[in-house]
Amino acid sequence: MIWLEGVAYRRDGSVVLDGVTLGVASSDLIVIEGCTASGKTTLLEIAALARAPDAGTVWFAGRNVATLQRASLPFVRRNIGYCTAEPRLIPEDTALANVMLALAVRGHKPATAEASAKGALDLVKAGDLANRAVASLSPGQKRLVALARAVVGPPPLVIADEPAAGVGDEARAAVIRALTAARDLGAAVLCATADSTLADGLVLAGGRKIHIAQGRITGAPSMGLVPALPVPQPNGDEQPRNVIRPGTADADSDVDPQRLVPVAKEPA
Amino acid sequence: MKAIWIARCTRRQMGAHRRVVFAATAAFGLLALVVGGAVLSARTSHRWGAFVGQNVHVIVYLTDDVDQDRSRGLAEILRRAPTVAQVTEVEPAQALARLASSAATIGTGATVLDGLESAYFPRSLEVNLAPAADLSERANDLAKRLRGVPGVAQVDAMTDGLARLSVWVGLGRKLVLGVLLASAVLALATLAAVFLRSRGVARGRAAVLVQLGETTSGIRLPSSLWMAMAALGGGGGGALLITLAWRPLIHRLETSLGMAATTPLPSLGSAELAVGIGLAVLLGLAMGFFATPLPQTDDHE
Repeated sequence: MIWLEGVAYRRDGSVVLDGVTLGVASSDLIVIEGCTASGKTTLLEIAALARAPDAGTVWFAGRNVATLQRASLPFVRRNIGYCTAEPRLIPEDTALANVMLALAVRGHKPATAEASAKGALDLVKAGDLANRAVASLSPGQKRLVALARAVVGPPPLVIADEPAAGVGDEARAAVIRALTAARDLGAAVLCATADSTLADGLVLAGGRKIHIAQGRITGAPSMGLVPALPVPQPNGDEQPRNVIRPGTADADSDVDPQRLVPVAKEPA
Repeated sequence: MKAIWIARCTRRQMGAHRRVVFAATAAFGLLALVVGGAVLSARTSHRWGAFVGQNVHVIVYLTDDVDQDRSRGLAEILRRAPTVAQVTEVEPAQALARLASSAATIGTGATVLDGLESAYFPRSLEVNLAPAADLSERANDLAKRLRGVPGVAQVDAMTDGLARLSVWVGLGRKLVLGVLLASAVLALATLAAVFLRSRGVARGRAAVLVQLGETTSGIRLPSSLWMAMAALGGGGGGALLITLAWRPLIHRLETSLGMAATTPLPSLGSAELAVGIGLAVLLGLAMGFFATPLPQTDDHE
């Protein structure tokens, strides 16, 4: 689903990511574990198309994101459920409305969106928060609502950054359940955490764990993922620019999960 | 985002920020009152100017030995003067009739005028001057020149009344202008505050929607729509209020001042109202558009 190839990023002169290559296929769950300032969040931001890398290539569903027209980016982003470390929610809206918003953008009908959103909130054990304004929720509750919004649907790619920070054991279990449920429904799931309990829980649920330190992936057996099918090359001579337009089926008809499949690869 | 979701988002935003919506509606209403008031004030001022022009500025009382032919000859000479717009000859019988009519208007009994004969009244000429800013000076100048003419007993230049009227009109203009300016400043300041407040609220919402993959138009449309609705409600309400209130207000004022202008009372035409409200809606749409800043991040865009 997503393939990061030699991705590098610098901030204020210092290296944040140093040539990271990583891919996540459909129905795959990757857990990135690393300490603070190891580059997890930046890596996820790049994977979520919220930040462009200084070097390297981001492939989404077989398309080089850098070659997409600017107007196409929203249609790509709506295929990604992204739960940021600091939950970005609309404070004056209810939890349910916030979750429904993700489906609204994808073109779902209000009735089906409401049912799906309630299901997603129930999945993260936040069903009782549905009608409460987000502004009145605790940081942990906001995180659960943001996670529910990321997994609702689910979209082809789910990215979660520290989804269990500040929540209790029960909520952590709900987080694991939500991420694995998204994976089981065919989503590619990428989760970063410094919480080893969460990481271990996700591994126990069938996820695979990699470590990141100082902007490099370390010790990640069987984590390498390469494209199985040819993909457009960014340096092609007369290659037309890729354009993704909203499709008939929730704007993700251009997404072809078969283009990226995991294969075993030795760590760099 | 589909239309139904845009409508839901718009409704939700309006519900969540009732005070901002109310302030925007009030500001647009005030703006409509200011613009409508300015237009109607200009028309009323023109109407009153015309009314002043209709009044007699100089009355020339003729001596008893002046007969009707000579009176007519004097009137003809006066009509040739460049500052004179109209000269009306008033015969003694006409003067008596006017007095009787005025007495009846103020409720004086007919017995008071018993015994009066038209012969008591001199022939006179009523002179209307052409409209000008220095009407008072012109009336004085004409009166001065007429005082030496044979057959003229007395000349009454209505300069006191004209000067008083000029002062009142000037004061009224300044007062209206001051009120309009203060209201305009208040309306624009409120709109600016609404804009800044909306911008602060919309920034966070826009960041969320960008992350979710919403398009630029989808992000900006709800804000534009609710602002346009506020403009429609406020602008329409303000325009309706000033249209309905202005004519009775001016009518009452003119009645209390004893003015009896013959031209119809000023009002706003339906086309003017439609254009004004349309402009307000466009302003609302533009405000909503620009009040939704898209996040400037180090992203692919």
